[in-house]
Amino acid sequence: MRYTEGGFMTWGPRPREKMLQTITFLKCLECGAENSRPFMEWDFIFKVVGNEKCPRCGGSRSRIVNIYVPEKKESK
Amino acid sequence: MEKGLSNVFTAFLSPSAAGGENILSIIISFVWLLMFMVFFLYPSFGQRMQLSYMLRDLERKLNKLKSIKDEIRQTAIDTIKKVGKPDFDPTPEVDRLSEFFVIPPESMDPYGIVYKLEHILEIGELSYENEVKKLAPIAEEHQVKTLTNLVEIARGINTLYRVVRHYYLLGKKTSNIYLVLQIQMIMPQLVEIAEAYRMASVAFSQGQPIGDSIGVLVAAKLSDVENKKRYTVARDTMVEELELENRKVYVVRAIGPGGTVGRPGEAVKNLVESLPENPKMIITIDAGLKLEGEESGKVVEGVGVAIGGPGVDKYKIEEVAKQRNIPLYAFVIFESIQEAITPMRESIAKAADVVLQKVRKLLTEKVEEGGVVVVAGIGNTVGVG
Ligand SMILES: [Zn+2]
Repeated sequence: MRYTEGGFMTWGPRPREKMLQTITFLKCLECGAENSRPFMEWDFIFKVVGNEKCPRCGGSRSRIVNIYVPEKKESK
Repeated sequence: MEKGLSNVFTAFLSPSAAGGENILSIIISFVWLLMFMVFFLYPSFGQRMQLSYMLRDLERKLNKLKSIKDEIRQTAIDTIKKVGKPDFDPTPEVDRLSEFFVIPPESMDPYGIVYKLEHILEIGELSYENEVKKLAPIAEEHQVKTLTNLVEIARGINTLYRVVRHYYLLGKKTSNIYLVLQIQMIMPQLVEIAEAYRMASVAFSQGQPIGDSIGVLVAAKLSDVENKKRYTVARDTMVEELELENRKVYVVRAIGPGGTVGRPGEAVKNLVESLPENPKMIITIDAGLKLEGEESGKVVEGVGVAIGGPGVDKYKIEEVAKQRNIPLYAFVIFESIQEAITPMRESIAKAADVVLQKVRKLLTEKVEEGGVVVVAGIGNTVGVG
């Protein structure tokens, strides 16, 4: 019984999966540079964002090209 | 007499110390005898003990389910308040909607059951969406759709919790170890699904793309070109006409970025019937359940219609394809049931480009230049515009 009870085999704190952060990938509509930032509410793929400055050319219009949760091994 | 009896015992227990008093060993032997008698006269005693262990374990997991259920309910209420700004407390309405049910049509006479099912599901969806709209008067249309998904998740976890509680209480009431055993066996999976629901509720409360969005994402990426015509063909579903590798491609998908799966079956049917010539093939792209041990984001191909769910859309596409003798090709992106409803993983998102390449290759190999092809991206379009 104690094997299924969770006492014996799973003693100690269980490695609980943390809520991973979703990343939004943007592409500048003026110079084409791609950059990323944490997901903000109601972002969606192919949304044109008009109030975020491009870190390369300073252009203000960019388009969201992807949104996903990076795999753990690749997150920096 | 008494002395004699204990002497016998002492002698029996420790013959070497014959005659010596040993109260402790007498007590221990009585306890042993008692336990032996209990097991002998009451054979189900061991089972009863096991049952109480199992019930305790179940109770703990049931409490976990309850806490997840309450958390999702709170997320739904908070999001509706934040996004929809109703001028009343939406809590009782959310509770009412999480008890909402849909009765499937009678299948004793299966004739025409697909259309009955479609009818019932459509009424259910529409009325659900309208109810949520009333709770969120200032939310945009796509947000209303996503909120509807969120309330549906609250309903799903509520149902799960109620069913598990039913079996727990029934097992407890009837002391039926076999009933308890069955629910206890599947409990770890149920808790896992509940956890997935919890993460799904977070995704829907913010409009994030989920794993199931991958089919729609592929279609969106495929039609991400200039010079295309876009129009609605069925409720929440659109067609985009474009040229690809010198072939005429009609891309069908749900209209985003609100959470909806659209009506891909109805859309493909309407589209094919309206085209001047028969398409050379219909390609469906959808997320599919992987088997344990397979990697997420793996792309596989085959024939048939890749659409999950109640089967109405699948049936409609098969019907029209059969009538007109159109080949059906399908691409499936593997993911687990948890990944399908939680925020999209990198491995799945990256699979979109793989599918795109495969679709292009299939087009150039199997369809001659100038040919017409229908591509349908299936899935929930939450977070895909
Ligand atoms: Zn730029």
